[in-house]
Amino acid sequence: MAGQVAARHRARARTLSIVIALGALLAPVVATAHELDPGFLELRETTPGEYSVLWKVPLKAGRRMSLDPVFPTECSATTPVSSRPSGRGVMERWRLECPSGLAGASITIGGLERTYTDVMIRIELTEAEPLTYLVGSTNPTVVVGAEGQASQGALGYLWLGFEHILLGIDHLLFVLGLLLIVQNPWTLLNTVTAFTVAHSITLAIATLGWASAPAAPLNAAIALSILFLGPEIVRVWRGETSFTIRHPWVVAFAFGLLHGFGFASGLSTVGLPQAEIPLALLLFNLGVEAGQLFFVLLILALERAFRVLEIHWPRWAEMFPGYAVGSLGAFWFIQRTWMLLGG
Amino acid sequence: MRAALRLPVGITRARGEVATSRLAPAAFLTALLVPGRADAHLVNTGFGPFYDGISHLFVTAPDLLVVAALALLAGLRGHATARGTLLAVIIAWGLGGFAGLLTAPAVVWTAITTGSFLLLGALLAADRELPVGVVIGLGALVGLIHGFLNGAESAAAGIGFVGLVGSLAAVAVLATLISAAAVSLAEGSTRVAVRVAGSWIAAIGILMLGWLFRPGA
Amino acid sequence: MLFRRLPILGFPPRAWTTPGRAFLLAGSGIVVLAWPLLAWAHEETGQAAGFLAGMLHPVSGLDHVLAMVAVGFWGAQLGAPALWMLPVAFPMVMAVGGMLGLMGILLPGVELGIAVSAVALGAMVLGEVKAPLGAAAALVGFFAIFHGHAHGTELPDGTSGLYYSIGFVTATGLLHAAGIGFGMIHSRPRGPAILRAAGGLVLLGGLYFLWRVMA
Repeated sequence: MAGQVAARHRARARTLSIVIALGALLAPVVATAHELDPGFLELRETTPGEYSVLWKVPLKAGRRMSLDPVFPTECSATTPVSSRPSGRGVMERWRLECPSGLAGASITIGGLERTYTDVMIRIELTEAEPLTYLVGSTNPTVVVGAEGQASQGALGYLWLGFEHILLGIDHLLFVLGLLLIVQNPWTLLNTVTAFTVAHSITLAIATLGWASAPAAPLNAAIALSILFLGPEIVRVWRGETSFTIRHPWVVAFAFGLLHGFGFASGLSTVGLPQAEIPLALLLFNLGVEAGQLFFVLLILALERAFRVLEIHWPRWAEMFPGYAVGSLGAFWFIQRTWMLLGG
Repeated sequence: MRAALRLPVGITRARGEVATSRLAPAAFLTALLVPGRADAHLVNTGFGPFYDGISHLFVTAPDLLVVAALALLAGLRGHATARGTLLAVIIAWGLGGFAGLLTAPAVVWTAITTGSFLLLGALLAADRELPVGVVIGLGALVGLIHGFLNGAESAAAGIGFVGLVGSLAAVAVLATLISAAAVSLAEGSTRVAVRVAGSWIAAIGILMLGWLFRPGA
Repeated sequence: MLFRRLPILGFPPRAWTTPGRAFLLAGSGIVVLAWPLLAWAHEETGQAAGFLAGMLHPVSGLDHVLAMVAVGFWGAQLGAPALWMLPVAFPMVMAVGGMLGLMGILLPGVELGIAVSAVALGAMVLGEVKAPLGAAAALVGFFAIFHGHAHGTELPDGTSGLYYSIGFVTATGLLHAAGIGFGMIHSRPRGPAILRAAGGLVLLGGLYFLWRVMA
């Protein structure tokens, strides 16, 4: 009897170590993936043919990404580029002269095809409605005001939000952790709602510039929130209970506040006119919610599908999602704390 | 690996001036854990090719249609056949994909890929009692063909093995969801919905054949 | 079951509840449909454009729309098995017509055939003609060839053939579904009369198009 228990413990320890090793292999790759923020290019026509340029380049691994807008050849910079760090990017400003104007000209973001970043382009020509485009690696060029390439306007923010959460493994793992804890549909509903409300609040606060969170401690805290769910999941498996298991919405709300600051990194409103910020914020947030809902539906539908098909997983595979949440949370927390301490 | 260690804030610190002495213990800790290729290129996000592989499947309509038709066909034969077919198609897709990745031929077999979903769609619309072995065999066959092309395209797109894994994951998820839906529709009057879907898929294939063999094509 | 430990879903296996089944279908439906559409919309605009062009094409010709919807009406009047035979057979037969058109094999009097099909199908619905299954399928299949041929030859240049075909077949199928859906009133009191009246409208529309072709 005692031998059996010991054997089971050994088996479990072995499973756990495999899972941790697997998680650790993936983690650095994943961790760098999410620290890719979109770029932002703004061109404002001051006098006909003269533009003030604002180019916010995101950082990749702490370094300015090698992305640069390419203008028509007749354009030339009339001032040197002034550059300063700004949050999680580098802000560059200069003045540009294009004698025959930018209407109908094509602008390419050089280097974008080699990245997974999007760039929001906003163009304000005199005597015209402002144009907004979202370009990515598959379509790095815009033709200003061209037919067919419709200015996406604020709708681009919807996609940006959707993409931001689905590419953000840390946010998805937190949601997965919550799914593994909730006990019934009602709890699921209020937990997801609490998470949504909380991250919407801080996303708004951060976007409107009322408060901000420095990236390094924030990332560590987000990792901690994922780690926190690990032991709770194990408690659910053992049939135990805890405050978190009885009231997961409280935890979802509290940590949701943190995740909201994280989402804010995906939404750059630098240079947007004040009047457009609320709309961009709303659409970005709706995109995030749609992405989150999509993920929750995907997981629940998959579980249903396994049940219908009567697919029986080995024990270690059943436990994999839970251990993935806990061990990746732990790994990121250690990694990011290390970074925070100056590693 | 550098990416994993460097602070993503503060441009002054990030200009490549991190003290080597501080880097060393961290490098030692993570060296064992970090796949070497993850940051071979600064612009490479490492996880990006996985997502690219997923999106590649969804912009490759013949692959989507084949997976859908096969999953529905297997689902109509009940959950045991569906399980077997799922396993067969995933393994075959992986093997075929790996072969495609290694050989990376520049081929476009549009007629064959069209034929495969046309055939599966027509079988689905006809709803004849196919032997279980035939369904599983068809799954393995189309898995090999489409996986092979998928692997070749992954190699061509420069997303390589990780991209292939991404598309394989998407195939697995999609096929699981669709065959489960078919299993639960297979009983009673809703079965016809699955047959109609097969008819649509076959119709797309027939139109596509016309498109392929039109004069001047 | 990989996520068996999702306690929220902890009902015993095979304990099939209708909400559970509805959830599976709705959830996977959303995931399966939304995913590629999003990918197309974002990745390659050519594909989304081809799909949209294909979707819009059958809807843009009223003669075509009338005939498709009438197929659904008639199926609803005939009841099973015609109700489901017609939507299964029609897309494939129509695609054969489209294939002929694409391959440049000429079919005489295509426009006439389409107009006549609306007239004939409208008449069948108006008269609530209880044709045997074989005859109904043959009639619908004969007209389906004309519809497919017309749209096959009208396929615009420079569009992705595959995505156009997907859109085209989807739109046609949805028109059938609309016809069958409306035809469901057949089982309601006074439903048969309304359905026959709708058939009469199709007949009138068909006559108008016939007059336009002949004039």
